[in-house]
Amino acid sequence: MTEEWIENARMMVDSARAVVPGDGSVERVRKTRFQGAGFDREVMRQVAELGFFLIRVEEDEGGFGLGMRETCELMRVLGGGLLPEPVLSSMMSGALLQSALPETVRTGEEVIVMAWQDQTGSLSWAGGARGGTIDGHKVNVPGAEGADLFAVITSNGVALVPRDAAGLAVTGAETLDGGRIGSLSFASVDVEFLPCERIKEVLEDATLGHSAYLMGLAERALDITLDYLRMRKQFGQPIGSFQSLQHRATEMKIQLELSRAAIFATARRFDTGADPMTRAQSVARCKLRAAQMTMLVMREAVQMHGAMGITDEADIGLYVRKAMTEVNFFGPPRVHRQILANLLEDAS
Amino acid sequence: MTQLPDYNSMSDKEFRQTVCNFVEENYPALPRYALSRLHWEEVKPWYLTLAEKGWICPTWPREHGGMGLTAGKHLIMIEEFERFGCARVNDIGPVMLGPLLLKYGTDAQKGHFLPKILSGEHVWAQGYSEPGAGSDLAAVRCEAVLDGDDWVINGQKTWITLGMDANWIFILARTDKTVKKQAGISFLLVPMDAKGITVRPILNLELEAEFCEVFFDNVRVPADHIVGSANEGWTAAKALLGHERVFIGAPRLSASAMGRLKRIAQRAGFWEDPVFRDRYVALQCDVMDLSDLFETYVDKLRDGEAIGADVSMLKIFQSELYQRISELILEVAAEESGLRAPPEDDRRLHAASTYLSARPTTIFGGSTEIMRNVLSKAILDLPS
Repeated sequence: MTEEWIENARMMVDSARAVVPGDGSVERVRKTRFQGAGFDREVMRQVAELGFFLIRVEEDEGGFGLGMRETCELMRVLGGGLLPEPVLSSMMSGALLQSALPETVRTGEEVIVMAWQDQTGSLSWAGGARGGTIDGHKVNVPGAEGADLFAVITSNGVALVPRDAAGLAVTGAETLDGGRIGSLSFASVDVEFLPCERIKEVLEDATLGHSAYLMGLAERALDITLDYLRMRKQFGQPIGSFQSLQHRATEMKIQLELSRAAIFATARRFDTGADPMTRAQSVARCKLRAAQMTMLVMREAVQMHGAMGITDEADIGLYVRKAMTEVNFFGPPRVHRQILANLLEDAS
Repeated sequence: MTQLPDYNSMSDKEFRQTVCNFVEENYPALPRYALSRLHWEEVKPWYLTLAEKGWICPTWPREHGGMGLTAGKHLIMIEEFERFGCARVNDIGPVMLGPLLLKYGTDAQKGHFLPKILSGEHVWAQGYSEPGAGSDLAAVRCEAVLDGDDWVINGQKTWITLGMDANWIFILARTDKTVKKQAGISFLLVPMDAKGITVRPILNLELEAEFCEVFFDNVRVPADHIVGSANEGWTAAKALLGHERVFIGAPRLSASAMGRLKRIAQRAGFWEDPVFRDRYVALQCDVMDLSDLFETYVDKLRDGEAIGADVSMLKIFQSELYQRISELILEVAAEESGLRAPPEDDRRLHAASTYLSARPTTIFGGSTEIMRNVLSKAILDLPS
């Protein structure tokens, strides 16, 4: 019996082919690099039309109310296509705002991204709220300079802040993949806080979705590398016939499947109702595995491509630079190991 | 150029001080501790400074314009250059071609080419690899055919480091297709301005044009632009490197990366973190043990002992260690690992620079996989 989520996920992946070509071409991604805000607003509009920003908005709030399994499957495909647009961030803004997600975002007229992180290298998000205003910083906001609206997370709830709000300064920096990452500085910005019961849960969902993006990225990088091992000949035979490379390729596959299994099992737990402890523990485990597996695959992909692997013209390089850019978002491995250590049963 | 002192008769301490003083007083206004190679136009003043001092070819015999240094003294010189952070010059002429001409070249070739390397007039590039001949280098297909008094060259060379800076290139060319592949290769010298040569820069992962490919379309060079006999180029190419093979495994890349790891950890605020320290000291032990292994080879060089195939262990361990350090750096930098520009405009704080600069070390100059194959056969005596 095919489960309902699988059918939903299949339909979403089919429609995602409008922005992530099924033939694996990353030409559009290559051309978009190092330009403007680092993503294409037209693609964001297309994604809005596909309804992806409503996936995590409940049905009675005007969304699709789909689960994390569908979300992760979609993120996996977007990762495989190196999608530069901040889709996850917009989708999670929808999850936070629910019915308050502006109509202009739903139609794709305006772009919204989520601003949650107080400080690089930390997962703290509670900062910023002071009475009816926001002060301080939110960092590592994807596509911040090209966004129109921010869903800003604080201990007082979520605020919908336009980019041109008085007292808000947006700065950005180029990232290795050709995108841009921004920081928001708030100087007593007047806002309206919308209560949100699920902030912690949405950030966990986002972390899981990001893990799936990394997994898709690594999965495609492994496929490209396996193709190269089959095609590239030295000493009169395909280099993929050499046992030392076969063993290392096998190790990548094992790590990839561990990551996939953990992510989808965790998504199922999230969808079917898991206690906070289980949620926290499983999402940390997923992000940890996905990050480490992704960097293993990238290291081996470069090495197995030989000199081709360190050129910009080979597509594998786009994957490596994307991985270097994305791997530490939602916490580098050490942060997740720390969380897991703190969650040990006898941790005081 | 005045007569150079006999550096080998100095004490190591005295020589080290001499090098140190010279570098501090004469290093031009160039970047120090660069993480990627500088191009000729930038690094030329340093080359010419060394050339004028008579220090551009430390290992060449004194009668040919070198310093005639022993391996031990050469190592001191390298250490002092590294300590100061001197940029690496375009050194294919001094390091690769010079020693090869000294061993295999004719008197006419030595008389013509060596002085031009010493003066910086000729900047050389090495054209070995081809798209189909990387690890399997003996599979080169770029072909040279003798036509009257000229070699006529057709084909392609690639992964030529700083090839766009060079005005001369030496290549391994196929000159006999009927014999075992190693037996039909010749070593040719080609001016880069010859008619029929096209150069295409290749961007690396750091988006810098550090290497290029060169296309040869009916390029003609005089018949005497061959080093050694026809079809004996493979032997000449393989004889290269000498004690460079030891230095390529020196712990300095890893040691300096540890310095950067420490600074990045301090900046990220958890240099004091015990979990981080556990990982840091494990890597530090690797660097120190590598240094000790490296020293055993340096001792051999000092004693004039031959260096065997086992020296590859140094390069394998050092390059993989450098990569492991760079991978921890990437994690320590957290979300900043993805920044394209260095934090505080300091490349030593830039995780991506170290990570990316560590990638080619296990590929170029003999891939780790090929070196492990050689070790398995030549040292461990394992069956094919």
